[in-house]
Amino acid sequence: MDFLVFVQLLLPGITTGCVYALVALGFVLCANVSGVVNFAQGEYVMLGGMVGASLVDLHVPLALAIVGAALAGALLGAAQERLTLAPVRRSPPFIQITITLGVAVVIRGIALIAFGKDPLSMPGFAGDGTVDILGAVLPVQTLFVWGATALLLALMFRFLKHSDTGRAVRACSINLQAARLMGVDTERLTLVVFSVAGGIGALAGVVITPIVLASWDAGVAYGLKGFVGAILGGFRSPTIAVAGGLFIGLLEAFSAGYVSSGWKDAIVYGVLLAYLLVRGGVFIYGRASLIFSSH
Amino acid sequence: MTAHLARRKTMLAVAAFLVLVAAYPFVVPGNYPLGIGITAGAMAAGTVGFVLLFGYAQQLALGQAGFCMVGGYANAILCVRYHWDPFVALVAGAALAMLVAYVIATPILKLRGFVLAMASLAMHFILIVAALQVPLTGGALGTYGLPKFAIFGASLSNDLAYYYVVWLIVLLAVAIGLNIDRSRIGRALKAIAVSEMAAGSVGIDIAKYKVQMFVVSAGMASVSGSLTVHFLRAMDPEVFGFAYSLNIITSVIVGGLMSIWGGAMGAAIVTGLREALRGLSLPLWESVIMGALTVVVLIAFPRGPAGFLSGLFDRLTGERGPKRALGVQPVPAALKPLVDPPPAGTPILEVGGACRSFGSLRAVNDVSFTVEAGSITTLIGPNGAGKTTMFNLVGGYQPLDRGRVSFLGRPIAALMPQEIALLGIGRTFQNLQLFDNMTVLDNVMCGRHRLTASGILDISLRLPRVGREEAATRAAARDCLRFVGLEGAETMMTSALSFGHQRLVEIARALALEPKLLLMDEPASGLNDTETERLAELILRISALGVSVLLVEHDMRLVMGLADHVVVMHHGVKIADGPPDLVRADPEVIAAYLGQEVHERVA
Repeated sequence: MDFLVFVQLLLPGITTGCVYALVALGFVLCANVSGVVNFAQGEYVMLGGMVGASLVDLHVPLALAIVGAALAGALLGAAQERLTLAPVRRSPPFIQITITLGVAVVIRGIALIAFGKDPLSMPGFAGDGTVDILGAVLPVQTLFVWGATALLLALMFRFLKHSDTGRAVRACSINLQAARLMGVDTERLTLVVFSVAGGIGALAGVVITPIVLASWDAGVAYGLKGFVGAILGGFRSPTIAVAGGLFIGLLEAFSAGYVSSGWKDAIVYGVLLAYLLVRGGVFIYGRASLIFSSH
Repeated sequence: MTAHLARRKTMLAVAAFLVLVAAYPFVVPGNYPLGIGITAGAMAAGTVGFVLLFGYAQQLALGQAGFCMVGGYANAILCVRYHWDPFVALVAGAALAMLVAYVIATPILKLRGFVLAMASLAMHFILIVAALQVPLTGGALGTYGLPKFAIFGASLSNDLAYYYVVWLIVLLAVAIGLNIDRSRIGRALKAIAVSEMAAGSVGIDIAKYKVQMFVVSAGMASVSGSLTVHFLRAMDPEVFGFAYSLNIITSVIVGGLMSIWGGAMGAAIVTGLREALRGLSLPLWESVIMGALTVVVLIAFPRGPAGFLSGLFDRLTGERGPKRALGVQPVPAALKPLVDPPPAGTPILEVGGACRSFGSLRAVNDVSFTVEAGSITTLIGPNGAGKTTMFNLVGGYQPLDRGRVSFLGRPIAALMPQEIALLGIGRTFQNLQLFDNMTVLDNVMCGRHRLTASGILDISLRLPRVGREEAATRAAARDCLRFVGLEGAETMMTSALSFGHQRLVEIARALALEPKLLLMDEPASGLNDTETERLAELILRISALGVSVLLVEHDMRLVMGLADHVVVMHHGVKIADGPPDLVRADPEVIAAYLGQEVHERVA
């Protein structure tokens, strides 16, 4: 096997994997605290890229554009939770989840109208140069994607481990019902995690945009692939969800490189389907231990 | 609702449907509107099926358009390349879609949560990639030159005729949907939606019916795809994209989640809305408006317009259940005794060395006891003694760590609640678990689930034996209601009843499955003195039918007056076991439990 080809696939795979990992993290955080799988998760990535690119286009300084994109994601996340989920907290879970799907469609539609059909580009944070890593030639922006992901993950895990709010989030992921009974204010916590997940998603979107462009319809794929990562982690552990997201990025890159770029999505989704079939199949013969107990 | 009124309502709906469908081409003449009518009808054939999956089975499948693709390509390939008859190709496509759905859903629906949503989307995207890559489908360009629709060679060259055929197929889909709604499967799905625990307690296999709805809806989606491509005369990977799945979902939401008719209405509304936006040259707004519609309707009008019309019909006919309060029933009627009760005195339920821990807490620690056939055995103990856990172990709601449970000599510790119910063990819950989306009679009819057998095929076609079985089920359920003293409450919604009466409905539901053993979890909790007395009387009458009873109870008067045998638990351990008089005198029991009671009374 040609080592250079391998590296040329591996490193960009890690880059897209970073985005999926952050989306997966957002999925798990929201699902654990609210019991709702937020289908709009991928749209925040799209939105971050769109807002960041547009701001730079309006000659807003880069740093402000990044902050603006993250803020837009966080605010929209908060608005989504307050306006569309808080009023239906007592509705059956499948209703709440369908509402998040409707929100995703609205966000996508608004992006199409506001930013247009054509993808937006954005200059790299340190110019559009390239960098040579292990012989592979990559955009310099790659380093920003890795750095930003590492930083965000470090902050998130620190937050989950050491802050009171973070501990409450972890308590919810172990047993939502018990956490509520122990006085965890899940109402406030839900608002927090939706904002955080929106902000993280938008940041991921803004750092990846110089490499892949931002397009109004990119959110579905980010969401679905992030979801695949989250599901490989059983929708519970943030760490495994992140690892799952990275794995999906790599799988996609290697499928495109070694099989065919036309089939890469089919391979990623095929892995999801196969995983679920096997996982479900195992329970046919065992006593069903209910792994995804969102309600 | 009485069967008679339900029939009138259906006849009215069918008449309205036929008039609307027949009149549309004449009210809005022209080829273009006719095309919209055909597009809407073709979509409606699929959305009606989606009501069953999404509204009834509560499974949000994001890739439903994938099954439309299956139908579309089956027709494109079979009719263009192999010159099949379009109708035969339509049937073949539906069969293929149903097979795919069955293979995917059977394992995946064993998992909880919202896994099917993504699995179906993954399937859809794989199909899109395959359609683009595989030469047979014509790739991105697609396949052109599909023939006009034909049934066994009789071609429908006239679009107006095709329009009528399409909407007749919609009517057929609606009929199948309504047949399922008014059957044991429809009740089972409604039961699952409200309480999976209670559904399991009457023997309903939760995964099975969800799989069936996935399969039925896949078949209808495939038919919808076939009908669409015979109108377009072409099929390519873009026709049924993600947006089409979203439109199906929006249609069902707009039409009302639990409304079969609403599925067809929703498809017409959504198609009309899309055309209107196109007419106003606002096609970009489609996604915003569809999404917003979804969110707003789900938050504000979860029943949809068809639900609203149905409610209006009920109000106009005064069909909201009897307004009068339910009086005290005179003489409760008798019920047929158990046909072959196990001989009295033989063990019916044996628990041996049962253990169950939660973390470091040993909720049930090495407990053994026996329930003799024909007896009323009660499990007592102070709060936190492990009674409810013990009960859940017997009912299959929690797995045992160690030990065994056997029913009539058969080990049942590894069984799921619905499998235990199938053996003839009924149960009631301490916190009532009624199906509050159904009438009292329907609740009790759910209890007959294990004793009825009509399958999805018989029910879809409403074969005569389904009607006979349904009538027998209804009669048996009425007998149970009469037995517990709730005659006259049949058409009421359970939420309209008092707490005490709701408890009786639950007991009637458990009796309806003709249990050999009835498990009752604190049946007297929340009842006043008179109600408790009547309950005791009822339990004695149940016992007289030959039904063995295992009771968890706090109310000592009830226990001591009723029980043949008492098992006392304390801190997860059994501390006494015997006839009530002996147990009452047991010093350990007095110290642990009765002592407190005596002490309180003195104080």
